[in-house]
Amino acid sequence: MAHIHLEDGAFSPFWVIVWSLVAAGLVTLALIIIGRKETSPRKLAIAAMCTSVGFAVFQVSIPIFGGIHLNLTPLIGILAGPGLGSLAALLINVFSAAVGHGGWGMIGANTVVNVVEVAVSYYVYRLVRTRFKLDRFASGLGAAVVALSLSAVAIVAIVGISGIQDSEQTKEEIVANMVVIAVVNIAVGVLEGVVTGYVVSFIGRVRPDLLRDTEGVAEKDPAPAEGA
Amino acid sequence: MSRRSYSKHIPDFRLVTHYGESGRSVVHSANPWTKAVLLVAVVSLATVLTDIVLLTALFIVMLAAYKLARLPLGVLLGWFTLPVMFVVTLTMLFVFTEPGDEVVGLDLLGTRVSISDNGVILMAKLLLRALAVVTFSLTLFMTTKYGQIAGIAHRTLPRALATMFLLSYRFLFVTSDEVTDLLDAMHARNGGLVKGVTRQSRLFASIFGHAFIHAFERAERISKAMESRGFSGEFPTVERLPRPSARGYVMMAVAFAAVAFSAYCRYFDQELMRWL
Repeated sequence: MAHIHLEDGAFSPFWVIVWSLVAAGLVTLALIIIGRKETSPRKLAIAAMCTSVGFAVFQVSIPIFGGIHLNLTPLIGILAGPGLGSLAALLINVFSAAVGHGGWGMIGANTVVNVVEVAVSYYVYRLVRTRFKLDRFASGLGAAVVALSLSAVAIVAIVGISGIQDSEQTKEEIVANMVVIAVVNIAVGVLEGVVTGYVVSFIGRVRPDLLRDTEGVAEKDPAPAEGA
Repeated sequence: MSRRSYSKHIPDFRLVTHYGESGRSVVHSANPWTKAVLLVAVVSLATVLTDIVLLTALFIVMLAAYKLARLPLGVLLGWFTLPVMFVVTLTMLFVFTEPGDEVVGLDLLGTRVSISDNGVILMAKLLLRALAVVTFSLTLFMTTKYGQIAGIAHRTLPRALATMFLLSYRFLFVTSDEVTDLLDAMHARNGGLVKGVTRQSRLFASIFGHAFIHAFERAERISKAMESRGFSGEFPTVERLPRPSARGYVMMAVAFAAVAFSAYCRYFDQELMRWL
């Protein structure tokens, strides 16, 4: 999972404002992307369902490394695209903050991290699937692992830049502490990548129409069939 | 209330909604705008305050607000597990590495491992901040009707975001039950969430894959039903949202005056806070 599980007050007011502004910029960009083309009620309903499933899955704690969870944002990115996927990521963070799963002030920083996951997974999946003609499992696995590894680095960067409020440690010491968490995140990212690969293959077999937009280029130049 | 929830440590949205819809208290009857603005003030105060005594006072005031709303304290204590777990997990390393006087320590393989006083204080402050905000956040959602939350979302968020927010809030109840059903089915077959990487991955994939497929099919059914009733992407809200009362404006002014004063003391005159 890639989520800054710091609660309110962990960042100083300055950095809360900075990351909130960055996130607001990204969400505005997502809204512009969505506004450019007609978004049908069906797409909105599917994106909302992605949000609620993402949030529900978010709450399932897996008892390894002291308790981790998957967040499936790469999968949401692949299914909903970078525009609606970014909005879904923001809403998952809002619902999570409401129940104490990360602070309200952390929504900005968390959204930046999750938008990275959504956008990177969407474009990597699309690239690998259409350009390199890999099957859905490999494309989903690759997209999720790349996205989650980058977001783990983004978490270390965000906490390293912002520092922890009231801590007397230097930024280098804070980064050293966060690297341990990033390593765990990347390890879980590989697991989530495998899960994402299986889920994308499963959806591709049962409901290939749900992947049509992401694999849009593949309609003209078909990607190899599953298992080919 | 939910048929089941994942655990008593995670807030159950159905229980939260039940209290929001049926509760009768001073806090329930307070204006939703006032409560939403006060949440912003509480988050700001938790971020700006650095004194552990003031943070403790903030937490106590939030607990008092929760109690004033006649909400169950035992449930809240169970739900504290989640924020406490996150704060402790992430600050555990800081407890050992934060510069300060040694509270307790031991020699391990020739290396001194110790807990510092500043590390403990850092963890305590983050806990107090987290719990103060979570308490008020839950108070807000457990005392405000869905229609009022929908009204606030409708008026403050862009159209696409508001529609997604309101739809996903409604879908949360069904998807939570869906995931819980799948977990129950797994446990019924003597399965567990940790059984080796290969089996684990396939297990998660089948759970989450089914959850997504069912969710999509349900979303499509719902969108068709909504479109057939004239839905065009705009979520209508029928709840009237009155303006805050004079007392509400006073409360908001006092809260933000406290935020401004705390920020002034922190950044311009730290002696003033010590003197107080």
